[in-house]
Amino acid sequence: MIAFEDVTFSYEGSQYKALDGVSLRVESGDFLGIIGPSGAGKSTLAYAAMGAIPHSLHGDFYGSVRVDGRDTFETDLTELARVVGAVFQDIDAQMVATVVEDEVAFGLENFGAPREAGEARIAEVLAQVGIADLRHREIASLSGGQKQKVALAAVLALRPRALVLDEPTGELDPQSSRQVFELLRALNEQGTTIVVIEQKIMLLGEFARHLAVMDGGRLSFYGETRSILARALDLKGVGVNVPRVTTFSLGLRAAGVGPGRLCVDVDEAEALVKEAIA
Amino acid sequence: MGGILDYAPGTTVVHRLNPIVKIVFAFCTCVAAFLTESLPALCALLALDVAAGCAGGIPQRTLRLLSGLVKVSVFLFVLQVLFIRSGTPVFFFVTDAGVHTAFLVVLRLIVATMPLALMLALTPMSDLSNALVKVARLPYHYAFAFTTALRFIPVFTGEMRQIMEAQTARGVEFDTGNPLRKVSLILPLCIPMLVSSVGRVQQSALAAETRGFYLRDRASGYRDYPFGALDAAALALTAAVVAFGVVL
Repeated sequence: MIAFEDVTFSYEGSQYKALDGVSLRVESGDFLGIIGPSGAGKSTLAYAAMGAIPHSLHGDFYGSVRVDGRDTFETDLTELARVVGAVFQDIDAQMVATVVEDEVAFGLENFGAPREAGEARIAEVLAQVGIADLRHREIASLSGGQKQKVALAAVLALRPRALVLDEPTGELDPQSSRQVFELLRALNEQGTTIVVIEQKIMLLGEFARHLAVMDGGRLSFYGETRSILARALDLKGVGVNVPRVTTFSLGLRAAGVGPGRLCVDVDEAEALVKEAIA
Repeated sequence: MGGILDYAPGTTVVHRLNPIVKIVFAFCTCVAAFLTESLPALCALLALDVAAGCAGGIPQRTLRLLSGLVKVSVFLFVLQVLFIRSGTPVFFFVTDAGVHTAFLVVLRLIVATMPLALMLALTPMSDLSNALVKVARLPYHYAFAFTTALRFIPVFTGEMRQIMEAQTARGVEFDTGNPLRKVSLILPLCIPMLVSSVGRVQQSALAAETRGFYLRDRASGYRDYPFGALDAAALALTAAVVAFGVVL
């Protein structure tokens, strides 16, 4: 779906390589989590994946990014937007309307969705994200978390085949963060490819199928989520902590207690402890 | 929250008017204020402004707006009285012509500003821009630039507050009583403010573009803005206001 081939990028006027030789394939239908310390190049990777780099943000670009088989250099942003939807970190800046309903309608109107289908889609997507009651509210009067859901709804309305999200739970409480990831999982099960930058490793451990760990513009680790989390010490080296239950299960394994399974969530840890005790 | 230009939701007659009619009404009231030379006529227009605010269900905000404008006007009034030297003196250096002109200028300012502010408070920004695009055939790019500028005001105010709080936490005393010192403390903050605003505006443009901004044209919007009997009545009133301004 999205393929990076030896991508190196530095922003205009800067020598620093925000991305440094990144090669990564996101298969269609995958759920990829991206994690890494600040300044690791995660957002830059997201920008490159949805075409903002090179079309909107300029700089020195080497290598190639292909979205759905098409080179992002040769396809304009509007065309790319039909395939990849993106939610950025700065929620306030990405609103284009003053009322929730108009915000969600914006993309539908522009891409020429017929009025009745569009109206139905707005209702559907607002319900899907769990903010049907906010439909007629002013965006300026919403909380950070509510705005985040509006931004997500506005992008989902266009039924993108792939979603790129830059810290979509940044302003959400733990419960709402979970809801967002559960929604992403549901979308993923319906076939949408998900690429999500997230700092909450616990959520990634539970929901992501693959993990990419970025550090200093490079892709430090990439692989199936559990196999990446198992390398807790390596991850610590680049400033990424693994979920506490994972550390715990690795500790048990090192001490030779229990079946030595790796856990990524509390339920698994509970089962593991029960087995170890039994 | 509570900003004088923020939209005040409601379902009153004024809310239900076609946005274009509201723009025309506001604009024509301004024109009438500049056409008339009579103080009573200006007072009548002022009464009309206040009535429009009350009809829109925001009497308190209308009065707040009015008192704000009156405060600015006091300064203007004094200046006018000081500088107009024609006419007969009535009190020290104050002349009757000076007082008359000063009243005229000040009332005009108030009467011309209020309808525009009320129009913004009683019309959702998106309806305003959509109606301008659909009915008045304003190119969408201009409407978008206009609404984005207005939409960013609270965002930037919030950001400025954040920067100031960050500075306060580092010991800068913004609560100084000396206004000159306050200005000299605030001015340097414009640089981080400007840098971050350019970045945010760029993000905004990107977000719009990825949702098909360049595909949008006049027919894109889902909402229509038909003219009804209410709008016809409002337009008739508008015509009467202009005629009133011309005659008096």
